[in-house]
Amino acid sequence: MDRFFEALFIGLSSGAIYSLVALGIVVVFRGSGHLNFAQGEMATLSAYVASVAAAWTLPIVHWDVPMWGAAIVAMVFGFLVSAATEILIVRPLGKRSPLAVFVALIAVFLGINALDAGLWGAPPSEVVTSLFPNAPTDFAEVFGTVWRYKDIGTLVVTIVITALLFLLFAKTKIGLAMRAVASNTESGKLVGIPTGLVLAGSWGLAGALAAVAGTMFAGAQGNPGQVTPILMFTVFVYASAAATLGGLDSPIGAVVAGLSIGVVENQAAEWAPGWIGQEMKLSVALACIFVVLLVRPSGLFGTVKVERV
Amino acid sequence: MSVLEVTGLRAGYGAINVLQDIDLTVEPGEIVVVLGANGAGKTTAMRAISGTIARQGTILFDGEDITGRSPEQIVKLGIAQVPQGRGTFPELTVEENLRIGAFTRNDGEVALDIDLWYETFPRLSERRSQRAGSLSGGEQQMLAIARALMSRPRLLLCDEPSLGLAPLITKELFNIIGGLNARWGIAVLLVEQNANLAMQIAQRVYLLETGSIVATGDAETIAADDSIRKAYLGY
Repeated sequence: MDRFFEALFIGLSSGAIYSLVALGIVVVFRGSGHLNFAQGEMATLSAYVASVAAAWTLPIVHWDVPMWGAAIVAMVFGFLVSAATEILIVRPLGKRSPLAVFVALIAVFLGINALDAGLWGAPPSEVVTSLFPNAPTDFAEVFGTVWRYKDIGTLVVTIVITALLFLLFAKTKIGLAMRAVASNTESGKLVGIPTGLVLAGSWGLAGALAAVAGTMFAGAQGNPGQVTPILMFTVFVYASAAATLGGLDSPIGAVVAGLSIGVVENQAAEWAPGWIGQEMKLSVALACIFVVLLVRPSGLFGTVKVERV
Repeated sequence: MSVLEVTGLRAGYGAINVLQDIDLTVEPGEIVVVLGANGAGKTTAMRAISGTIARQGTILFDGEDITGRSPEQIVKLGIAQVPQGRGTFPELTVEENLRIGAFTRNDGEVALDIDLWYETFPRLSERRSQRAGSLSGGEQQMLAIARALMSRPRLLLCDEPSLGLAPLITKELFNIIGGLNARWGIAVLLVEQNANLAMQIAQRVYLLETGSIVATGDAETIAADDSIRKAYLGY
């Protein structure tokens, strides 16, 4: 049982990062109908910004910037860059062809990656400390297994963010406006919603989510954690799988799917170390997704589109 | 002063001009119908007035020039449009559709208005927590109208409300529009292909053909004019 709980917990905490990136993909997809290929790179770039911010010393008072302060700087940065991507690239191209947006977003993905490598190239020296206590003794024992504070923290932050997003969409006027624009942009204009602002806001929100995910993930890589240009590559693969599995337009779906993928792959690696192990665990998760999507093409929680004729 | 005074309106898509110098007015408390066949420019005229496409000319609303205003500002000033086809938000519930209809309002009376329109459209009240996309065509059209009314407009633009509806439902819908006008004094600009029914509730008629107004007059006069009826209305 110990091994089960340990793999379960590790699965949940790595799944939490997938969920956060997947949430960003879903927020953008609901808002504008585009798959943001650059969501993972946005997280990496924001993690770099967090590392730069954390290395600052404030003038005059000579205080070091605390890690959570650097994370907030990264979130603001992620928000602005992502919103700017929507305004400057996605919106003008989207008027012409959705395919052009698709290609442009791949270009953004490659562009940010090249920018990271160019600005912070070899030897890699950018580090991010964990947002949570991360000394060798910082863990709790649950059911005889080790739950490290940084992993508990990641999980808690993800749950809190999910709850806040739920409240935003379900209870606030701006959330209702975001859902309305996603549902019918033309009518959104006709009820007086500034649709351009709402779309940029959706993208910005996704950028801020990416920043949280990137900063937490980089901080969990070590003590302190190293930021590299390929930081989010595999995470993005998992996250886009989670977003698809959850149903692309369902935030709850993205979180449930992200956590499930984390748990399934880690359990598989734990119980079949010989022939699955750490190297093959991604394919187990993807095989499960394949089966689920065969049965439910619109994902676990996705809206089934009904065409009226 | 007219509620709506349109002079020399030109509008279209890209390089193509659909409307050529349209003049039309709507007086306070009036129902005006624009009749025309497919492709005459009815929807384009609606979009030009509500600000969702580029336009030239002058559009005065209560004497204020709204030609260069954005759709958001125009809604705020008091013009609400029920667009052609489904003007609702299919993924939102009926109640959420009504709440978002009041997006531009900051007063505390939104809940009061929702109750008011539930009384006017009892079928919407029965379906308040259903998704709008699951309603029948007629119910969706009623929801689109109620949603438009949530912004407390002084002028309601209705783009072919009869489209795709059974004749009986269309009749009910037109009665409701007539009732709204009579009870609340909301001016209505209606574009329609269904000339017969529309002229029964309208006071004045404009005939639109390939982007130009070709005839105008009282609804009764136009309806009684055989030559106009045969040439443009086709019955």
